[in-house]
Order: sequence, then C-alpha cells, then structure tokens
Amino acid sequence: MEERTRAYLRGRFGDHYRRVDLSLPPDAHEREWGYIPWTEGPSETMVRHKSLLGLGDLESFLARERPRHIYFSAGRYADPSASSMGKKDWRGSDVVFDLDADHLPAVDPDEDTYAEMLATCKDALLRLLDFLETDFGFSELTIVFSGGRGYHVHVRDEGIQHLDREGRREIVDYVRGIGLDLDGLVTTEMRGNVTARRLRTDGGWGKRVHEALLAFVSEIESLPEADGKERLQALDGIGEGRAKTVYGAIDANRDAIENGNLEAGGPGIRKLVDALTHKVIEDQNAPIDEPVTTDTNRLIRLPGSLHGGSGLAVRTLERGEISGFNPLVDAVPETFRGHEITVEVTDPERVELDGDTFTLSEGVSTVPEYLGVFLMSRGRAQKGPE
Amino acid sequence: MEPRHARYPFLGSARKAVEAADVDLAAVARERRSAVDRGRERILSGLFEGTVGETHRRPRVELLSYPVARVLVSLVDQPALTHRYARAEAAAAHERFQEDLTATQFRSTDGQQLTLATLLSEFDLRGAIEPRETTSLDDAERFSIAVGTYLELAAGQYGDDWRLVNRSLADGRVPIDREELLELLRAAVEERVLDGLPLNVPDPIADSLTEDVEAVSERLDELDLTRDIDTVVPELFPPCMTALLDQVQKGEHLAHHSRFAITSFLTSIGMTTDDIVELYEINPGFGEEMTRYQTDHIRGETSPTDYSPPACATMQSYGDCVNMDDLCEEISHPLSYYEAKLEDADEEEVIDWRERDGDE
Repeated sequence: MEERTRAYLRGRFGDHYRRVDLSLPPDAHEREWGYIPWTEGPSETMVRHKSLLGLGDLESFLARERPRHIYFSAGRYADPSASSMGKKDWRGSDVVFDLDADHLPAVDPDEDTYAEMLATCKDALLRLLDFLETDFGFSELTIVFSGGRGYHVHVRDEGIQHLDREGRREIVDYVRGIGLDLDGLVTTEMRGNVTARRLRTDGGWGKRVHEALLAFVSEIESLPEADGKERLQALDGIGEGRAKTVYGAIDANRDAIENGNLEAGGPGIRKLVDALTHKVIEDQNAPIDEPVTTDTNRLIRLPGSLHGGSGLAVRTLERGEISGFNPLVDAVPETFRGHEITVEVTDPERVELDGDTFTLSEGVSTVPEYLGVFLMSRGRAQKGPE
Repeated sequence: MEPRHARYPFLGSARKAVEAADVDLAAVARERRSAVDRGRERILSGLFEGTVGETHRRPRVELLSYPVARVLVSLVDQPALTHRYARAEAAAAHERFQEDLTATQFRSTDGQQLTLATLLSEFDLRGAIEPRETTSLDDAERFSIAVGTYLELAAGQYGDDWRLVNRSLADGRVPIDREELLELLRAAVEERVLDGLPLNVPDPIADSLTEDVEAVSERLDELDLTRDIDTVVPELFPPCMTALLDQVQKGEHLAHHSRFAITSFLTSIGMTTDDIVELYEINPGFGEEMTRYQTDHIRGETSPTDYSPPACATMQSYGDCVNMDDLCEEISHPLSYYEAKLEDADEEEVIDWRERDGDE
C-alpha cells in the first residue's frame, strides 16, 4: 500500500471515528485491548497488552490514533496491561464464536462471490444461534458482522465465564456435532426383563435426529409405495431388500417411532436412524472456527469499529435484524457515502457493494468513496490523483 | 465436633470444627500423636489402594488426620502423589456419600445426617441442580444440571457418555441421573482436596515430620511413577501407539480418548510439546494450536493434573488396542512394552527420532 493511500484511509477512518458513537463492551476496564496501526508493507504488527486506561478515552484514542484494526479481549483480568498472560491474572472469559467464510465447507472460495460467501455464512450463523438459544439457553448474546468474511457471537452469560479450554471445546464439539454417534444418542431401558433401545428425544442432537426421523417418515408415508422405497434407498447403507423391511416397519410402527423406540421394526429402523444421524449432523452443524472459541485470551474485533481490510463497519445486529441484514449494504459506513473519489485500480474484478454491481477497469477511475475505500483496503487499488 | 466431620473432613464445617477445637498442628506433629500415623496411612492407602484406609476409632484423630495428610503431601511435593492422594480422598468420599444418601430413610433425623441438599450447598451447587419429576432432592432419581456447571465438573471424566454432544441438552440444562450426580460430586471433592496443594508448611511443623516425609517418599519411589524412558524411537512403539500415530499423520480425525492416548504416551517418553507438534505436523490438518494446547494440558502445564497414558485394559475398552503381538501378552501397559523393546534393542540401532536427518 502506497503512502498516499495509507494516509488517505487513515484520515478518513479518523473522520469516521469522530462521527460515530461507540459503545464499550461490559467490564471494558478489565479487558486487554490491542490494535494494528497503518504501516508500510504487508506485515501487520499488533500493539497489544494495553488497558483501556493506557489508551485513554476510547473515542478520542480512535480519533487520534485512527488504527487500521482494533480489538479487545474475550477475557477479563485483574491487570489487563501486564505483559504476559500469567501476570494478567485471568478472571473469566466470554465464550466467543467465529464463523468465517474461509472455513465453511459449503463455501468454494474460487467460485463463490463475496456476497455468496457471506450469505452462506449467515445461514451458518442462524444454525449456531439455534444451538446457543434453544439448546444452551444462553441469553446474553451479542451478534456481530465482523466487517470481513463472517460473523462473531459473544456469549456473556455468567455460567460460562469460568470454563477452561477443555470445557469450551465441549461447546465447540457440540455445535459442530463432533464425536457424535448414534450410540451416544440412544439410551437403553429395561422393559420387563429385556433391554430396549430408545432415542433420547428430550433434547440435544437426539431430539434433532428424532425430528428429522419424524419428518422423513411423514414424507415416506405421503409417497406412493414404490417412490417411498426408492427414497429410502437413496440413503447410505439402505439397499433394496432393507428398504422393503424399513418401509414395512414404518407402516406398522408409527407410534413407536413417535416415542423414539428403536426396537420396533427390527434393525431396519436403526439403520434408518443411523443414516439420518449423519445427514442431520451434516445439515445442522455450525462450522465455527475452533481455536477462537477455546482460546480464553482471544482478542476480538471491536463492534462499531472499521475493518481495515474492507473499509466496512463491524456491526452489532439485533436478533430480529439478522434475516434482513445485507452486509454489503448495511455495513457500508455512512461516512463514505455521498462522495466520489479517484482511485487507480490494480485488480478490476467485479464488486457488489451497496446494492450496485461495479464493473471496473484497470487504471484511474472516479468511484463512490465507499467503493474506493473497499478497493484500497483490500489492496486492489491505490489512491488516485485529485 | 460431629461424626460427619470425621467422615467428610473436606467439608467447610469440618474445617471450622478443626479451627474451633483450637488444635495446634505443630504440637500434633511434634508429639507424634495418632493423627500423624493415621494421616500417613491415608496417603499410603491412597497410593497403593486408591482409598484412605480404615477409619480411626476416635473421630477426633480421624478428623485431624486429614489436615496432617495434606501437610505431608505438601512436604513430599510430587504431583504424582498429590493427584493420587486427591483421587483417593474423593473415591472414599464418593463411597461414603453413596452409602449415606441411599440409607437416609433408615437413619435418625437428628440434623446430623448428610443430605444431598447439604452436600450440594457445600460445593455451591444448590442453584445449579434441580430434581426432575419431583420437588424433593432426596427422593429424586433424575436431575438436571446447568450446562456451565456440568462442563466444569464433567470435563475430566473419561468416557464418551460424558461428552456434551451426546447429552440431551435443552434450554441450558443437562439431564443426569442420581449416579451421575454423585460422580460429579466426586469430581468436585477431588478438586476441593487439590485446592491449595501444595500448602506452604511452616518450618517447625516440617521439621517434626521429616521422618514421615521420608517414609512416604520411599514408598513413592517403589512405585516408580516417574518413568525414565527418554529415547524416541517410533519403530519400537507398541502396535497401538504406532496405529494411532499413523492415523494422526494421515490426517484422520481421532476420537478424544485416542488423541489423549497417543499424546500422553509421547509426553511420557520425554517428548516436548515442540517435538510432538513436529512429529504430528507431517499432517497439516492436525492443527498446531490444538496439538500445543492439548500437549501442554496433558503435561500438566496448563492444568492441575499431569496425565499418564492409559493402561492396556483401558486401551482395549476404547477399541484402541490393535495388532497385538507376543510382547503385548506379557505386559499391561503400553509404556512397559516400549521399555522392554528399548532394553532389547541393539544400542547401535537405536537412533533417537530427534537426532535423525530431517530428509528421511
């Protein structure tokens, strides 16, 4: 990035920070703060181990320093500015989830556009929130568009503050469905003097699998027999002969299936549930980035700040706002709207931003400022002559 | 002082009873009263039998032997001893509250009796645990526990049943049965016993216990818990570890217990976290950060416990025991296999993995 581009972006980031009101995370004084200044060259060095006291009033700090990126810690400490983690004296940490388009199996980075990646990421966010709200019953959630390739969720419920990494990894494995197998979802009960296997339908992944089973069974029942059997055969591990048995078992044992009873209909139903379990995990898991969640000292981007690699705002989202949220429109900072600037484009690949699609060509162009900032932040353009 | 205190010496009220009795621990140590002998016995039983031995007929001696044992363990100051001792105290407590809580209805209700409510309050768990299908804690067979508390207590439990992913988590609560609740309380006791160890022992007390400390240390050496196998020769690894290492290097996903087995094995033969990361890194998918964290944890650097690798029986029950050979028949621990192989190997042929050329 050329000096002129850097100076321009830094100046405009400063203008942005003078205009906006930022809200601090709770216990901001007990957190570690860090930032990345605008520097020459591709290497980014973070200035960290700062306390809020060391930075001074955050808003004037941002207006004065105009950093490229700013972060605060998930952890709280007695002495957040101490130079090592040991000396900081850890008091607890929020549980933070990071959904990053780069890590999503459903994203093809070579094929998908930025907008498509973010849409896939939002689907994953909704699945994650379902786990956090329905299964975990968390109530202190802050949902944030990261300004880059995804979303962050900060959980601040008291009950999880003191979990160590081991405990946090259990949460990760839960939302990702790691280590889950049918055996784990089945309880064995005594019925008279025989044991009976039953799906755990009262919560967790067992309930999700059971719901999928009931939906699948209803679908089969609504189909003509031949189509129903064909549908069954489309599942892993179910051949023609087995499809026939399972079909018969579904027909004869609907009530038992409703109750999660896995004995009715012999091994056929269990085979069906096994196949559905794999599909449910695949469809419903939330592929979060594990190291972020298990790290009790992680630094996370500050909501309300600007992402120095896109020029987009790191936006906190209300729960009801998510479905209608379009990051490439709603995270465009107001500061950069309504002006035009000249840039020298080096990478003219098409850009979708603020509801428009821009076809660019290499060389000097006049573009809306938000687009210019986006291109320059991503290293796809330099500031052009005025 | 109540009988309950001698039976559950780690309880807050027992601690208060010791304080109220105004016992001078230095005097107890100096005069070699029965409490010292019983304290020593607590530790040795813990070391060899996994429990705390016969209760002394005098409740006062029994109660005092607990702080004495903690002092002795602190003076020996060997993590292997400290953890075995804490596990033994927790196992004994577990056995006792299983007895006491199931027998409630046959005992007098003089207020001295241990109830589940008392026990839960003691560990500040009263708010996290609710009975299901009934309102009475004492009658309940099923409970639910707040997920945060569950994760804190169940994290150290061995076995896939404890994994959160296999639990019926709903609305922030994990259903558990009575047996599981008592197991989690056992874990809470272990944590309580470990808390604060090693203690800072004043010199006069330490001086009068020199003989006891030596005796415990000697018995500890007999067990040879800290093995000295510090050569890394993957060709001589037992078949189970070879298979696991192979999977790691191929980038296959290993179950938690399998990752634990291979990493704790490598740690036990003296590999540092850096060595292990390097050995694993043949597979980029394994995740360096994850490996580092887990290895540090197993080494006891980021956790209170330093873990030793599972024995053959455990490996078998987890399906990790594969390709058994003749030597396997003669040993009961993967480390013994490796030790025997190293002993048999020709000195010339044994080249430490860390000293080999990087290009092989």
